[in-house]
Amino acid sequence: MTSFRYIGTKRRAKEHPRFVSGRGRFVADIALPGMKHVALVASPHAAARIVSIKTDAARAAPGVLYVLTGEEFCANTDSLAIGVDAPKVTRFALARGVVRYAGEWVAAVVADSRALAEDAAERVEVEYEPLPHVIDPEAALAPGAPLVHPAHGSNLLYHRKFVWGPVEEAFASAEHRIAFRAVWGRSATVPIETFGVAAQWDAGTGILDIWASIQMPKFPDQAARALRLPGNAVRVHYDVDVGGSYGVKRGIKHTVLVGYLAKKLGVAVRLIEDRLENLRGGDMQGPDRFFDMQVAFGADGVIRAMKIRAVDDVGAYAGRSPFQLGKPVTAICGPYAIGAIEYEPISVMTNKTPQEAVRGFGQSPTNFAIERAIDRAARHLGMDQVELRKRNFIRKDQFPYTIPSGSTYDSGDYHGVLDETLAAIDYGSLVRARDEARRSGRLAGIGISSCLEPSGGNSAFEVLMNPKNENTTWMDSCLVRVDLSGAITGVIGNSSAGQGHESLVSTVLGEILERDPETIRVVRADSLTALPSNSPVGSRMAIMLGGAAAGAAKTIKETLIAIAAHNFECSPEDLEYRDGSVNVKGAPSKEFSWDQLVEIAHRKFHKLPPGIEPGLQAKFVWEVPTGGALPTPEGRIQIYPCYAFEAHVVLVEIDPDTCKPAIRKYLCGHDCGVMINPDIVHGMTYGGIAHGLGAALYEKFAYTEDGQLASGTFMDYLIPSAMEVPAMAIVDHCTPSPLTTFGQKGSGEAGYLGAPAAIANAVNDALAPLGASIDTLPMSHLAIWNAIGARKGAAST
Amino acid sequence: MKAAPFEYARAASLSEVCALLATHGDGAKLLAGGQSLVPMMAMRLVRPAWLVDINEIAELKFIAVEKDMARTGACTRQGAVERDHALAARVPLLRQALAWVGHVQTRNRGTIGGSLAHADPCAELPLVAQVLGARMLLRSGTGARTLEAEKFFAGPMATNVRPGECLEEIHWPAWSWRHTGSAFTEISVRHGDFAMVAAAAQVAIDGDGRCVRAAFGLGGVGGTPLAFPKIAGRLVGTRLDDAAVNDAAHAAATETQPGSDLHASAEYRRHLAGVLAARALREARERARSL
Repeated sequence: MTSFRYIGTKRRAKEHPRFVSGRGRFVADIALPGMKHVALVASPHAAARIVSIKTDAARAAPGVLYVLTGEEFCANTDSLAIGVDAPKVTRFALARGVVRYAGEWVAAVVADSRALAEDAAERVEVEYEPLPHVIDPEAALAPGAPLVHPAHGSNLLYHRKFVWGPVEEAFASAEHRIAFRAVWGRSATVPIETFGVAAQWDAGTGILDIWASIQMPKFPDQAARALRLPGNAVRVHYDVDVGGSYGVKRGIKHTVLVGYLAKKLGVAVRLIEDRLENLRGGDMQGPDRFFDMQVAFGADGVIRAMKIRAVDDVGAYAGRSPFQLGKPVTAICGPYAIGAIEYEPISVMTNKTPQEAVRGFGQSPTNFAIERAIDRAARHLGMDQVELRKRNFIRKDQFPYTIPSGSTYDSGDYHGVLDETLAAIDYGSLVRARDEARRSGRLAGIGISSCLEPSGGNSAFEVLMNPKNENTTWMDSCLVRVDLSGAITGVIGNSSAGQGHESLVSTVLGEILERDPETIRVVRADSLTALPSNSPVGSRMAIMLGGAAAGAAKTIKETLIAIAAHNFECSPEDLEYRDGSVNVKGAPSKEFSWDQLVEIAHRKFHKLPPGIEPGLQAKFVWEVPTGGALPTPEGRIQIYPCYAFEAHVVLVEIDPDTCKPAIRKYLCGHDCGVMINPDIVHGMTYGGIAHGLGAALYEKFAYTEDGQLASGTFMDYLIPSAMEVPAMAIVDHCTPSPLTTFGQKGSGEAGYLGAPAAIANAVNDALAPLGASIDTLPMSHLAIWNAIGARKGAAST
Repeated sequence: MKAAPFEYARAASLSEVCALLATHGDGAKLLAGGQSLVPMMAMRLVRPAWLVDINEIAELKFIAVEKDMARTGACTRQGAVERDHALAARVPLLRQALAWVGHVQTRNRGTIGGSLAHADPCAELPLVAQVLGARMLLRSGTGARTLEAEKFFAGPMATNVRPGECLEEIHWPAWSWRHTGSAFTEISVRHGDFAMVAAAAQVAIDGDGRCVRAAFGLGGVGGTPLAFPKIAGRLVGTRLDDAAVNDAAHAAATETQPGSDLHASAEYRRHLAGVLAARALREARERARSL
């Protein structure tokens, strides 16, 4: 493997000093002159007709500038993008005529302060006529169900059955078949910072400036379209720190609302959600999905075929959420060589808060279902769960490996990673510890998951799920400038929610140009000056932004060599580049220093070779490797380019009397190819495991029968704390990707993609001696009690 | 999540508190540590017209350990009580319970009186008060009175404190038997959350290991924390063997009528009540035996 100077070395993230010393700049730090504040009036009903809205009392309240309702707003803006082909499922920030979920925004109050706006919001009188509602996705699919969007004609948003390979034949001939339902509870990423946006309209320039805590592809374009403004009238400032996201910081409806108010009122306007608005009306709840799984396999444990029917409840509006059923197509058989797959994604609307992207974009629920299937197949055969995995893993020598749904996995060493993981945790002693615990009357279980992280974020699921969409590029880019002083600046065109883009780009530029990354600055352009980017989603930035930065840096390097060659009157092949200087091979004294070359580029046109632009800068726009194609008629398509792998091993104990689970040991083996910054990769993996622990045991957006969010505060939406998250360790393995600049793969979703599956498998292993099992997340204390309590009786000891 | 408009007064003395309460009556709310009140105000679930801040009143912040009881001022921080060794030696159940109250940070702000007056049926300190039979000294402009814990708690988030009254101090009975042990345990989904079920117990044994006094109670399984003096009384004279303890715990659990919520059904709570009551009693017994 190539050795690197900076890549892969343990280096402090460039952003850390700024954040640790409290110098981050978040939306809440944006203070614009004369800025007004927004509070929202939310629907108390899951479904209702809006009979009337009286705003007089609110308008007369102290400090109030304006009260906006859906009638005015919807008449003057366009629907947000819908995603799938469902043109009647329009979506606006404020309801007009009807409300479709409890918490939906009905009116916005603009006042001198947020507190005054809240006072006035209480005075907005809305008369509702409740309508029938539907909360359960299966009920929503039944004939006669109340329709969330009657104009759409049904609650079904998307439905297709893909058959890749001889599925029925395999099922007919297989020795063993199992079927079960796996249920992924509605949870999300819940960052410390809620969504926030500030906007200011400059009537002089005709530009709407926006500062927002976003992580969203095509955000400026979507905001401009909905506001009926040309793209060059919206300037999104990317130099705003985002206080956590992992998918959910979309905020497009908030931004259109605030942008409209700022332009209409001619004042700066800010909306920062409070926690209740965020959890209930902020449209940030994640996948809500059940899987009807069928697996056909031989007595040898080899899986012949799998059928997955995935029903996903997106809530009351569409957006990009149905696509979260599409991304898993790119790794639909996981790390296993399964030759035939049937996949039937079904996207359903109900009267719940709309679903939004969450870390993994649907991959973690799918991994959970697949890994439960693997665990159940092993249990069915009485085969060791490690052995069954190994019999089905794609072998190291089989890459590149094309799966039935059309994606080719770039590289991997699944056996190697799992072996190293088991060795690191000392699997033999782990089994002994479990068995010892069982002998002493406790419930103990070992869970394993082995799964993939598709990375390099290509949105080819859009063209797969919407035939009217021909978006086949998902490029990213970087501009590199070397100024007259010789200092290097990387310019990027997106905001960061903690992914460490500044560390990434400075490391890559330093690596290629052989300059100290500490001296390299990385800045964020605004959307009117930025090169194209598709934002940091889908574990793509190490690959795409890293690749673009490397491409631009290589151009700079070639330019410097060309300048030296021109002045030495020799061929570039006769020169060598070292630490930014260029010398004649074998003659180190015949050298142009970095400073000399930079000065020629900036000031000495007479020394520049023909065809070289003066000044020293380079841009690079990179298309996702392997991307660019449309699907075949059977729905085969390459979606993501790179595939990271992770194997989790966990020991769980459950108190048999209280049903309280506790994680005793946790180890994650991880292979994302070449790590550009190991601390960042590990940090995201640790956080991902904690996030997955939440999805597995604690977090759920629960709804009451009458459609109210029952877990709208942190009293009931339970995020694991430092007391619940166990000590954990990571074992690194490196299988470089042949598709990327340095062999890197993505890792932003690491940990989260396998943790829920591993914990679920461990809980089930612990319950197995009692004959109990659970396939529904979260596996709350109550759910565990329900599964085993009855069997044990009400023993009070 | 901004509080509805309110007026604010910072009282410098207990008499000033009483005067303010007399003036504003029901519309006034006392602000101690604010760990429950302030979030409830921010969510506009509580909307006092007046907020009377008692945080600066020195006379409400004290710990006094006496022969047969300990006294704490109502505005004494939970953290201060937790760290007081003399108090822990006389009324160990307080420190044992406080380990379960919120987190270090919230205990540095939250007060003893605030927690009792808030009267959350799942909260730890009201359960301790109920089990030990703590007495609450209430002060008003017209005088003072004392309420026993069982008369103090009226229901979920409700007490029998009258408008115009301020909780001044709490008397925690201390047991004089040499072999006295106590224990507190609870189950919550996450550490620091309000308990799904909590249990507290205190037992005293003689030199032969026979129980001479027992008290225990459960939180989270009714509208107020519950003590079970009759069932506990049946333990007196026994050696607190596991069978006796389990019988008592089971009997207590059977008497409870817990509610259901998102995190625990009534049946699960009742089951936990039996498990935790037995654990608390056993742990208290082991402590008593070890002395």
